[in-house]
Amino acid sequence: MDFSSLCKQDFVFLDGGMGTMLHLAPGELPEALNLTDPKRVAAVHQAYLDAGSQILYANTFGANRLKLHGSGIDPTESIAAAIRNAKQIANGKALVALDVGPTGQLLHPAGTLSFDDAYDCYRETMMAGANAGADLIVIETMSDLLEMKAAFLAAKEHTTLPVLCTMSFTETGRTFTGCPISAMALTLEALGAAAIGINCSLGPREIYPLMQELSQWTTLPLIAKANAGLPDPVTGGYDISPEEFAAALLPYAQYGVQFFGGCCGTTPDFIRAVRQVLNGVSPTRPALEPKSAVCSGTKTVLLDRPRVIGERINPTGKKRMKQALLDGDMDYLRNEAITQTESGADILDVNVGTPGIDEAAVLPQAVRAIIEVTDLPLQLDSSDPAALEAALRCYPGKPIINSVCGKESSLASILPLVKHYGAAIVGLTLDENGIPASAEERFAIGKRILERALALGIPKTDIYLDCLTMTASTDPNGPTETLTAVSRVRKELDLQTVLGVSNISFGLPNRPLLNRAFLNMALSAGLTLPILNPMAEGMMDTVRAYRLLAGMDENCAAFIAAYQNQPTAAPTSTASQSDMTLESAVVHGLRQDAARLTAAALEQQDALDIINHMLIPALDTVGADYEAGRAFLPQLIQAATAAQSAFGVIKQTLAVKQESQSKGKIVIATVQGDVHDIGKNIVKLLLENYGYTVIDLGKDVPPQTIVDAAIAHQVSLVGLSALMTTTVGAMAETIALLHAQYPGCKTVVGGAVLTEDYAQSIGADCYAKDAKATVDFAKRVYKED
Amino acid sequence: MTPQQLSIPDILGYLGTPTLDDTLSAALQQAMDTLCAAVTPRSCWQSFPLNRADTGLTLAGLPLAGSDIQTHLQGCTQAVVMAVTLSDAVDRLIRTAQAQDMTQAVLLDAVAADAVEQVCESVVQEIRTRFPNCYLTERFSAGYGDFPLEMQPDLLRLLDAGKRIGLTVTQSGMLVPMKSVTALIGLSAQPTKDARRFGCGHACALCPLRDDCPHRPIPS
Repeated sequence: MDFSSLCKQDFVFLDGGMGTMLHLAPGELPEALNLTDPKRVAAVHQAYLDAGSQILYANTFGANRLKLHGSGIDPTESIAAAIRNAKQIANGKALVALDVGPTGQLLHPAGTLSFDDAYDCYRETMMAGANAGADLIVIETMSDLLEMKAAFLAAKEHTTLPVLCTMSFTETGRTFTGCPISAMALTLEALGAAAIGINCSLGPREIYPLMQELSQWTTLPLIAKANAGLPDPVTGGYDISPEEFAAALLPYAQYGVQFFGGCCGTTPDFIRAVRQVLNGVSPTRPALEPKSAVCSGTKTVLLDRPRVIGERINPTGKKRMKQALLDGDMDYLRNEAITQTESGADILDVNVGTPGIDEAAVLPQAVRAIIEVTDLPLQLDSSDPAALEAALRCYPGKPIINSVCGKESSLASILPLVKHYGAAIVGLTLDENGIPASAEERFAIGKRILERALALGIPKTDIYLDCLTMTASTDPNGPTETLTAVSRVRKELDLQTVLGVSNISFGLPNRPLLNRAFLNMALSAGLTLPILNPMAEGMMDTVRAYRLLAGMDENCAAFIAAYQNQPTAAPTSTASQSDMTLESAVVHGLRQDAARLTAAALEQQDALDIINHMLIPALDTVGADYEAGRAFLPQLIQAATAAQSAFGVIKQTLAVKQESQSKGKIVIATVQGDVHDIGKNIVKLLLENYGYTVIDLGKDVPPQTIVDAAIAHQVSLVGLSALMTTTVGAMAETIALLHAQYPGCKTVVGGAVLTEDYAQSIGADCYAKDAKATVDFAKRVYKED
Repeated sequence: MTPQQLSIPDILGYLGTPTLDDTLSAALQQAMDTLCAAVTPRSCWQSFPLNRADTGLTLAGLPLAGSDIQTHLQGCTQAVVMAVTLSDAVDRLIRTAQAQDMTQAVLLDAVAADAVEQVCESVVQEIRTRFPNCYLTERFSAGYGDFPLEMQPDLLRLLDAGKRIGLTVTQSGMLVPMKSVTALIGLSAQPTKDARRFGCGHACALCPLRDDCPHRPIPS
């Protein structure tokens, strides 16, 4: 028997709970039993085999390096013993699956585990399972789509076994980390899972509507492995019987579920009951319309109407963005991501290509920063296959790749990445001969790209074509040819269409007007994925209006939601605009006013004057009030935030000169193991307000990384934050390393559990009880210099 | 969760401020609404037998480290382990706010701290209902007194909290999602109110946590 012949049956029966059956003693790890008491595990396998299970899950759920950390159990040994044990019982009558569960650590950005560490951990597990002779791999009980992807890629890249994937959902239809059912289905089908489904967390009645939803998003066979109802907190038992369990699963057969088993609380009797109930039942599943969709780890965007791709994260022609990339200022990218999200973009393009930037290093870094602050799916924009691959690996979900073109070198290097990582692809209708002038020729290149992608097994719904917007001022026929090509691609090939809209108006006055007019024409011609600036005047308005008028906005709901509460006048501020000064705007924490007054002041005064004679004195006023107990933390931060918006305006104006105004560079970080970074971020805000250049290394930063940054930037001061007693050790270690490798550099430390005495004992130069104290110490350090 | 369930005085306590001006009050109200809209609190708990060995108390076979927990659970025959999380959505909300508007982030952080407390209280009520004949101690968490943070993984394992509510712990003992709590509550047949014990009996003068407790009234 092998997996593919098993799959020819109407139904395949899995096993039920392992932990339930092992009757573990307190503190006993199931994975230890593979080596210490294999007979106990074998008895469970035997019971499931006797009950009719056709795939036995080996006792390897937690057999990974991270989960077994500190237990003294070697995952590879435990896995080898577990598979051997299960195979002996199966003896050709059932298949044996390597069972792979979560690491127990959450991946960045929710937790501290990196994609690479998760991948390495799973690679070891997958290779051990394959070497021991597992017939297939099941990855189950996952909550984080990125962790699922790390496990899946480890299986795909190091074994040839079929992989079944199930995740655990709450009744809301999302996992604990917010992954919707649709995103799981889109991502795993594109990656190449053999079957997908839902396990654990809920009973079969609660999972039923979730399974119906899942069947709407995939053509893959489905897997159901529910719990025996819900647990009781006093008895620890589950609340439904084998018969109730089986009866609740019967309707699943009409939704494409082929694999049936049980999870927590289920026993061989449950499997027996399920087999009995399904005996003689003919499976069916509802017809599925093919659809295009992309997703992040937490949001799916269905391409059933024009969807806007935000273009702001791209350095081309944007000095401030270029500078941010060169400075490694990821906060600037995060902000652009947030603003575009709030403006109504559906997808964000991410392009970091600019001279002096190593795209293969920075593109994944940018992706990681952006997914911290937005749910939107991303379009990874680069012509460098290495950069694309690095970003594709750590992207949770199904992204778009922008782009491939008709050149042989591009087709040969990009399309395999699309297939391997399960992405959608934008094809540019140009080739070795450049951009053809006529719609006819662009259509022909598009068709060629389509055929090549289809031949690799990339589904048609994931292939989008960009017929290229040409500048209207250089060729009067350009716009018409582009629109003709778009229209033909849409009608004749039935593909999604992409256009960068604003290129149309390059070199002409009143660009916004032309952009809007062209956007209207393009949408009417069949453009489905306009790439544009969602903050530019009228662009989102045009798209929303088009959706409504084209009958794509049911009950006009999205349009009404966007406009019904629109204020008729500009928001008012508390003081009348004429008598408010920049100082008072900062003192009172009024962000918009601070920004507006700074812009006005810049017309008459030098930026340094504004900083030294208006902003700093205002901050000092609030700082003095804070120290005197007249103002408190919220007021202090509010003022700092207002000052920050004033500095933002100043920076925008002199994007290049900022280095000369810096009062000094300071490296700050939350130490390794610690993920609480709000305190550190408050410190950063205040230091920047006072004119220091802050190199923010983020949270959970290893000692060596901090020391390397201090040396690279030749700083005189390093600020470290730690919140927990368990992480102040990492702080001490960082300071010691700094003293050894970069002597003379001062350190300031802060965080909830620290005290003056403790700070001294670990060799810190200053204990800062709050953010203000850090600024005071920075002033002392840089005056001494 | 609704904003009405939150306690504004407690939130001001977390913010370290006795009052807020109009702008900040409006911002706080908004933070409360935003958080309540984003939060999907999840909790689980289970009761376990307590045993006294020569080396100290064990809970379902798990040795409880430190002397303070022994004091806390004096006279108890069983204990409940509870875990509560506001979920990753709240972490994400605060993370996003930090990149955009630190004031909003600080307000959300304080609101979330109070929201966790409120969820804990509702779980305690649930436990009370299930044990109408027992007296409950105050909540006691890893990190209180000499009950070490290193107990966190064991407590989560007892509850299978990763599978049940998506709560995990990092190798440095930190709960993720961050706005989460685990705690022990002792159950006994006799009254247990005793201010020498940890946890808030609002008996600050006797409490060993008084120096850095976020709940103590702000000196005016």
